[in-house]
Amino acid sequence: MEQKAAADILFFSAWAEALVRNDPGTLKKLYALHFPTVKQYVQRNSGTAEDARDVFQDAITVLWLKAKDGTLQQNTEPGAFLFRVSKNKWLDRVRSAAQRTMTVVPVEHTGAPDDVETVDLEERIQRLIQVYDRMDEHCRTVLGRFYFQREDMATIAQAMGVTEESIRTIKYRCMMKLRAFRKHIADGGKETEP
Amino acid sequence: MSKGALAQGRFEAIEAYLLGSMPAADRVRFEQELNTDPELRAEVAMQRENMLAVELGGMQRSLRSIMAQDEERGSTGWGHFLKYAAAVAVLLIGGLWWFSRPPLNERLYAEFHQTDPGLPVPMSATRNPAFQDAMVAYKLGDYQEAADKWNKLLPASPGNDTLNYYIANAQLAKGNAAGAIPLYKAVANDPASAFHEKAKWFLFLSLLHEGRYEEMRALGMERDGTYGERVRQIEDKIGQ
Repeated sequence: MEQKAAADILFFSAWAEALVRNDPGTLKKLYALHFPTVKQYVQRNSGTAEDARDVFQDAITVLWLKAKDGTLQQNTEPGAFLFRVSKNKWLDRVRSAAQRTMTVVPVEHTGAPDDVETVDLEERIQRLIQVYDRMDEHCRTVLGRFYFQREDMATIAQAMGVTEESIRTIKYRCMMKLRAFRKHIADGGKETEP
Repeated sequence: MSKGALAQGRFEAIEAYLLGSMPAADRVRFEQELNTDPELRAEVAMQRENMLAVELGGMQRSLRSIMAQDEERGSTGWGHFLKYAAAVAVLLIGGLWWFSRPPLNERLYAEFHQTDPGLPVPMSATRNPAFQDAMVAYKLGDYQEAADKWNKLLPASPGNDTLNYYIANAQLAKGNAAGAIPLYKAVANDPASAFHEKAKWFLFLSLLHEGRYEEMRALGMERDGTYGERVRQIEDKIGQ
């Protein structure tokens, strides 16, 4: 059983599906296998390990969101995808820094394959992060356990020492806060005023 | 989307629809309603994005946690810095250090032992996935997890040299030299194994760590083409 689960993760459809269901082992595996290449590239191009972590996180986020949307191409190789997105993001940063200091740096942006087009996704990711940032820690814990970790309400209630009914109410109220925030933004309100 | 409040029952129906937990009959009715009600469609789209925001936040938190753990492990690679810091400490506390320092064999072990980096693990590998999964844990420095996973495979092929060699490496990396010795011996005694030479070297180091000098010398590695020079250095120092 365990061997089969491990085998599944290694097939394309399975790793993408594992990413969709927020399997922590898959995230760990993607990081272990592909971050060293990104880090090496960034460090060889004037960046630090911290810079590499930043761009790798951005790239994983793009990969994750495309998997969630079901828009990854069937033949997507995660290592190549993560490297190209990370590389492009790093080159954008280098170029942007050079413009701020009026330095001319000959940086060639890598042509992205079809499934690595990220411009529209970037804006959407920023909106999603903006929504997440609005939540207080209590809501993040409850909603995170339910929607991200996929725990059932009985488990969450037991872990937090409250009743299932309380968790159900907290979840509803937290989600309504996000709804109110989104509506406020949609109505043209400022980000800081829900 | 509706400008007013969203009742809890309505919210939970949308949630069940998005999570795929809505009963089939209810789902058919819900989808019919979706086709005719643009407000509901907007509400569903917004709720999907809000749920996605929660998941994205959770995913990024998980990733940062993985990165922090990795960074923490990497920081132990400041061995050189620590050596210099230790040297300064020696100057300051002089004789106290002399009497409290670790035994010679442990110091030599620490000086010469470097954990085997492991085998490459391609993401697309389909052969021996359970082995590869353990190898990922090994490469991440989760030696206990790696050893546990490999140990589960051992009963099916107890004589497998690769398994024995990497379980031994995981044991040695977490400080259990005594536990690693029999496994290294099994591989070192098999001249046909690809890991024969390396197993012999790590067996030598494990015996050094345990202070079993006679067994260590009996391996006769002084003339080994790869490790002979290091073996002679260690034996010279032990002999002093």
